[in-house]
Amino acid sequence: MKTLQLEFYKIKRRKVWLTMFALLSVQLLWGLWAFRNPKDWELESGWLSLLHLLSLLDGIMVPTMMSVLASRLADIEHKGNTYKQLETLRSAGSLYHAKAVCGSMIIMLMFAAQFAFFILLGYHLGYEGNPDVKYYLLSYGLKVASNISLFLLQLALSMVFANQMIPLVAGLGGSMAALLLMFVSTYSFLPWGGNLSASLVRSEWDEVSRISTYCYRTFSPLETAAVVCIFVWIAVFYAAGRILFTRREV
Amino acid sequence: MAAQNLIETNNLTKQYGKVRCVNALNMKVPQGAVYGFLGPNGAGKSTTLKMILGLAKPTDGSITLFNTPVNDKNRIKLLADTGSLIESPSYYGHLTGEENLYILQTLKGCPKADIDEVLKIVRLNEARKKKVGHYSLGMKQRLGLAAALLGFPKLLILDEPTNGLDPAGIQEMRELICTLPSDYGITVVVSSHLLSEIDQMADHVGIIRKGELVYQDTLKSLHTHAKQQIALRTDQPASVISLLHQDGIEVGKEDDYLLLPMMEDAYVAHLCRKMIEQNIALYRVEKREKSLEDIFLSLTGKESSL
Repeated sequence: MKTLQLEFYKIKRRKVWLTMFALLSVQLLWGLWAFRNPKDWELESGWLSLLHLLSLLDGIMVPTMMSVLASRLADIEHKGNTYKQLETLRSAGSLYHAKAVCGSMIIMLMFAAQFAFFILLGYHLGYEGNPDVKYYLLSYGLKVASNISLFLLQLALSMVFANQMIPLVAGLGGSMAALLLMFVSTYSFLPWGGNLSASLVRSEWDEVSRISTYCYRTFSPLETAAVVCIFVWIAVFYAAGRILFTRREV
Repeated sequence: MAAQNLIETNNLTKQYGKVRCVNALNMKVPQGAVYGFLGPNGAGKSTTLKMILGLAKPTDGSITLFNTPVNDKNRIKLLADTGSLIESPSYYGHLTGEENLYILQTLKGCPKADIDEVLKIVRLNEARKKKVGHYSLGMKQRLGLAAALLGFPKLLILDEPTNGLDPAGIQEMRELICTLPSDYGITVVVSSHLLSEIDQMADHVGIIRKGELVYQDTLKSLHTHAKQQIALRTDQPASVISLLHQDGIEVGKEDDYLLLPMMEDAYVAHLCRKMIEQNIALYRVEKREKSLEDIFLSLTGKESSL
């Protein structure tokens, strides 16, 4: 517990929160622009379209953010050569665990803030009714899980490699792959495609009326497997990262 | 009664690929000592200290700390009474000196008041609120020492602690290290590639060369090796040896020279007179002095730095 508390203490002045806030601000501005002057039919399906928009925005922006977050948490240790001191006071495994939990908590808080912002936006725009609590909670949970899996992958790379260009390049490459996948598929087994797989809302574009309609998605077996895969990735990346980190010598 | 050893290694070995960095090392650090771990660059000092601290896994051999064999399960518990500064200091550049120490104090579970005390000891009190990223190398080194001193552990392991310090800082560091056993009851292991440094700080010394411990004893004992001798060259060494044996003097040999223990000028004059009386030609009489440096070089090889 002390080790975890200290993880938050260590990121003082590292502007980790500012990075997250910047992401949310961009997404909020995007939302404001996308939903400017909403029509009646847009207000009717507003809460659904909001979930759909969030999936899209997160699919595009968040994978890179996860690599930045992991890198910000890990490079303070590399820069100051701190592992050789910390590992005489705590086991490498517990240090790794504290970083993983700290990052996961930041992710949970970040998406809680994101949902709060966008729900307020929905009310501000005058969407009809209220958000469907069950779907919004499920969506939040899946979003957190898919981004934690991605964060754990990035954390493993950032903790093992002192040169942070390696995990950052991996993060950018993965983000590009996930972005391309969004044009051709509704799911992905890649860790970077978690935001796509976990989207609960599907949109249909009518070329004649030029109107998008939204509905909750029905998951095919493969799509369900892609969602389950998110949780498998969490276990795999955590275990692999921890093993790699504890086996290396300082 | 012999002092208890705080560190004992038994055939400690570390191999990277085909290179054996540390080879069957048997190190013994007595309680209350300042143990100078001396050796040229690349001799295996840091690797040995890292293995003792559990930062590198030994290929073979074992380590005993505070009379308890170290394993993965008890390592952290045993190291709780140890402070260390390995190679360069560890720090968070975006945090102040005080905040850096707070992190380690929390992890060590020692009193918060220790932060003030160690900052005072290393004279960083005035810079405590300054970000460590803005510290000079010497200040970072002193912060590293302060971090190692937190909780005033029983054992302090310092790897080249004077690196980056100016001459005044080096002197200060030496004085501080020398006082740690008497003032705080701390046993210190300090590594260096400089003989003069160890000579001024340590009371016990271990000399490592190419991963092997080539000497280990008190510094006093090392000094006794640095003795003076009289070297003598003559055409009839056997006759001179018998003359000396009559007086009960043991004689050594080196190349064409006879090596005699240091003796009074009067006896040297008496010996020379006797040799002349017996028609023994005396070519040279020299005073030979084997310095600590000579001993160090003979133990570690001529390429070593001093």
